[in-house]
Amino acid sequence: MTFTVAVLGTGAFAREHLLALRGIPGVRVSHVAGSSLERATELAALVPGARPTTDLAAVVSHPEVDGVDVCNATPDHAPWTIAAGRAGKHVHVDKPATLTVEAFDEMVAATEGRGRTLMVGQTVRFQPAVAELQARVAAGAIGDPRLLHITWYTGHVWPGGWRGWQLDTGKSGGHPVHNGTHALDLAVWLMGAEPVEVFGRDFPTFAAEMPMPDSFQLLVRFANGALATIELCYALTQPGRFLRRVLLAGTDGTLLHDTDAEPGLASPRHSAPPASLDGALADQLAHWVRAAQGREPMFVTTEQARAALATAVAAQRSLRTGRPIAVESAPVGVVGR
Amino acid sequence: MTALRVAFASGVRHAGSYLDELRRDPRVEIVGVAEEADAPAWMHADGRRAAADAGVPWLEDIRSASDPDRVDLTVVCSEPTRHARLAADAMSAGVHVLVDKPVATTLADVDALLDLDRSTPGTVSVVNRTHAAALRRTRAWIDAGHLGLPRHVDAEFLASGAFFARSVERPELVVDPALSGGGEILNFLGYCADAVLHLTGLEVESVYAMSGALFAAGHAEHGVEDTAVVSIGLSNGVTATLTVGRIPFAPGLGPTSSSLRVLGSHGHATADDDQPAVLRFGAEGLAAHPIGGGGGVAPVRAWLTHVVDRLIAGAAPDYGLAEARASLAVIDAAYRSIAAGDVVRPG
Repeated sequence: MTFTVAVLGTGAFAREHLLALRGIPGVRVSHVAGSSLERATELAALVPGARPTTDLAAVVSHPEVDGVDVCNATPDHAPWTIAAGRAGKHVHVDKPATLTVEAFDEMVAATEGRGRTLMVGQTVRFQPAVAELQARVAAGAIGDPRLLHITWYTGHVWPGGWRGWQLDTGKSGGHPVHNGTHALDLAVWLMGAEPVEVFGRDFPTFAAEMPMPDSFQLLVRFANGALATIELCYALTQPGRFLRRVLLAGTDGTLLHDTDAEPGLASPRHSAPPASLDGALADQLAHWVRAAQGREPMFVTTEQARAALATAVAAQRSLRTGRPIAVESAPVGVVGR
Repeated sequence: MTALRVAFASGVRHAGSYLDELRRDPRVEIVGVAEEADAPAWMHADGRRAAADAGVPWLEDIRSASDPDRVDLTVVCSEPTRHARLAADAMSAGVHVLVDKPVATTLADVDALLDLDRSTPGTVSVVNRTHAAALRRTRAWIDAGHLGLPRHVDAEFLASGAFFARSVERPELVVDPALSGGGEILNFLGYCADAVLHLTGLEVESVYAMSGALFAAGHAEHGVEDTAVVSIGLSNGVTATLTVGRIPFAPGLGPTSSSLRVLGSHGHATADDDQPAVLRFGAEGLAAHPIGGGGGVAPVRAWLTHVVDRLIAGAAPDYGLAEARASLAVIDAAYRSIAAGDVVRPG
């Protein structure tokens, strides 16, 4: 059963998505759509049979398309997800799903509300180390998770210099939304609970004048009283360097994964992701396809994605105000594993 | 001075381990262990047992534990709520004083000690972990400029509740506020605050804290926290996160675990008091042997050695009342933040 996908977006992540989709059996990419025909043509050439176009509206309602992979800039996620949902398509949307909880609710209504799937691309869940952590939690290895400490440092520079759209918090939502939704989704998933309060601070490492600082820290309280410390830095001096430590303490045990303890490549001219993190995107998109086809349950639920987004939005408010912020509540019990 | 005469004023908490460490030092003569006459019987019993286990005299009068004719250094090793008063008594007697942590349970008490310190002849120092090899190594990298300017420090200190009975002689000394003065924030947060202050040399400007009794180690019954996450804002826009708690199983090689991460403008560093370690594979499974003793032993051993070094040299140890007050101010601010539900400035 072939699943036909149209990819919206022509940036670096769209390229990664296309390369991943290209390798999934039973998936056909029909279109690559973006504002630049030149870039769309360049990316479409990566996948045999994919057609480049700038007519996004036509693509999301094209009868041969089963699902739309929305991976353009964040402000465009909501309108194109809603358009695709209303056209009866399944949707995979890159993280962050959108910039506000209200917009996310509209995206859910337009997709799940019409009997289609909406999956937010929480790639981290598909990383081998995270999948193993969650499997241990689900197996009861640590009892009830009560304390989470995530360290997440990477050497990454947003492209475009001062022109980079990520620096504009009106477009990116701020760093807790732009990249923090990865860590916050991880927190929601591992803790199996809904965040109710967040406090954050940020700091720029690249340049003091950065409108969106490259690093921040969050404290999170969950509805069941559990606590988390999350610290995230995108400014390690060596590009590609990655350090992630996840400590999860439960009532009966503690889990720890630390990429610093992992064998790997050390080369001055090359970098490679830790094996514990590698290969996630292909697994993520393959899962979306299978879930959209009804072959397996979707395990990145929109309720969890909503909780992570609501926390990220609250965290950005905390950064602006310097105060703790109550997280907009979701229906009770929706976040559990 | 070539030898240091040491006595213990009370011996109810960490006295056994401190006695063991000090007795290892050939420059130290243990004069004895004493307790206040009106202290509860179990405190007398614990002190007598600590003295007997160490093979040192039991002193019937606590004043003899700070008699300058017999003693050079008095170690105040009671429950935390008596630390300040016993320290003041020993300071007034004219000896050097080493106070177990926390130096006091209120800022007012430590301020009173600072006032008293101006008119007493001895030095006052406080037990801490800033001589841990991993922390000192990290500080040396910062001092050498290898990290540029520190921008953020993350410190984690966790203790195993599974070891509660072994690592804390009497759990009520930690969970009963009448004895402890608070919960694990008062017990542990100072270690993390010390590390941040030691590494950055900056002033703490604001504190926000969340806490809870998340695990079943008896804290909830006494209304104190077993876990806390704390955010600190320092001068120059530097930040820190502190995570402390008594959890069932700390991720360390002994009863506690302590680790650090430092983000600098030109590099980053990690540190763990249990690392480096040598692994042993045998019939009983995997065993890890931290080089230098690990976080459970080495930091206190290094600190006590430093105290003896300094006092014999006629100098003050490098962590005194001022450093302890700065650390306690973070603890105090964390409690006030929790009560207020908002960001507070340290007092």
